[in-house]
Amino acid sequence: MNAIEIKELTKKYKDFTAVDKLDLTIGEGELFGLLGVNGAGKTTTIKMLSCLSKPTSGTAVLMGNSITEKPDEVKKIISISTQETAVAPNLTVRENLEFIAKIYSVPDPKAAADNVIADFSLGEKENARTKTLSGGWQRKVSIAMALITSPQILFLDEPTLGLDVLARRELWNVIRQLKSKMTIILTTHYLEEAEALCDRIAIMTSGKLRAIGTAEELKQLAGKESFEDAFIEIAENAGKEEIK
Amino acid sequence: MRITAFANRNIKELIRDPLSYVFCLGFPVVMLLLMSVINKSIPAQANMTVFRIDNLCAGITVFGLTFLMLFAALLSSKDRTSSFLTRLYASPMTAFDFIAGYYLPMLLLALIQCVITFGVSLIIAAVEGVSLSIGGILLAIVTLIPSMILFIGFGLLFGCKFSDKAAPGLCSAVISAAAILGGIWMDVDAIGGAIEKICCILPFYHSVTAARLAVAGNIGECGKDLLIVCAYMIVVAALSVIAFRQNMTKDK
Repeated sequence: MNAIEIKELTKKYKDFTAVDKLDLTIGEGELFGLLGVNGAGKTTTIKMLSCLSKPTSGTAVLMGNSITEKPDEVKKIISISTQETAVAPNLTVRENLEFIAKIYSVPDPKAAADNVIADFSLGEKENARTKTLSGGWQRKVSIAMALITSPQILFLDEPTLGLDVLARRELWNVIRQLKSKMTIILTTHYLEEAEALCDRIAIMTSGKLRAIGTAEELKQLAGKESFEDAFIEIAENAGKEEIK
Repeated sequence: MRITAFANRNIKELIRDPLSYVFCLGFPVVMLLLMSVINKSIPAQANMTVFRIDNLCAGITVFGLTFLMLFAALLSSKDRTSSFLTRLYASPMTAFDFIAGYYLPMLLLALIQCVITFGVSLIIAAVEGVSLSIGGILLAIVTLIPSMILFIGFGLLFGCKFSDKAAPGLCSAVISAAAILGGIWMDVDAIGGAIEKICCILPFYHSVTAARLAVAGNIGECGKDLLIVCAYMIVVAALSVIAFRQNMTKDK
């Protein structure tokens, strides 16, 4: 079954087209990467899929629910970790987690928080107010808050941005453990992250989908040995086509 | 469940900010004590009763409520300008959940503030030998409920429309207007003229007058004042709800 079916999804801001007739299908349990340079339309796509922004035209269906017709149903089955950390500053780590669990009507918020605290190794900071934590810790909490609801679809918008190498690898392990348990849409600027984690990767530039496939398929498509070279080739070719 | 969870979060955000205690609870009490001391030094021949505790308590209570507006504005504008509210917009929370979750803890804090301010007023009245009835005070708290909603509404409206830098500035303007034009520090009726007309157009004077009448045991006379405050309350609360809903549906 497809978790997400995107049909001609378009977002325009006056004369600027941020996402241009995006067509995409993502399978249930898939870890799907959205790659692109700044302004490619990755975050705008995530915002439309998570009902934070209304499409100008087109639609997307998430687990059978249209984002334009049934946004309230969509919101119940998704969760998002935004680019910026989204935590309540005066609440402790545990209180933040239990708060999110309660607004998603998780049956036992305390037990759910216990599990997430263990999964993310947050124990030593669970009673610390989040405003006192470093940026890396706040990001971990923010992602833990997205996971506590056990969503069917999880959007991770540049989840490892600002994390040090160790914290990033730790988060990779968490994301790997989530594979096949839920559908994950991941945007990132780190090519090695997409290559290491994602089942399939879509490359976007100027709001358009330029290529899609596994990391190996994209390397073959671009005729390059490394994934980074393949990404650059595809993105630059797309740029040249735009100029023509 | 969602309203309770969000209201609980907002209560924690408020009570863990030391400024809440200073401005919402401490400041009205300090003002009461200070004004009572000033009142003692005013000669009886001056026939100035505005600083007498039975007049002062209602005015100071309204003045204290204006600081709740500031806290409502700061909380909502900080939530809005950070990613926290954006994150919650993608959750199953409805506009009603958000609005109730902001209003309820603020109303609770307002009630606590009123109880403390009037409680201290009772003590001062007992020390000074001024008659102040508990029944009148309880009625005054009831007459102040529309004012509580009005000031919280102002705060949410400013918080929804302006940044966490601009919103407190606007709140300060309303706090000043309420203090000067609410008749808290001066006898508006004695001044008359254009100032009195401006005072009568705005809700602050009526809010103070209604509470003063209730404290004095003349609750039956405050109908007109209460109606005016209620009219403002409905308009401002409705505008705050509209502004919040607009934020929810606006592109993030």
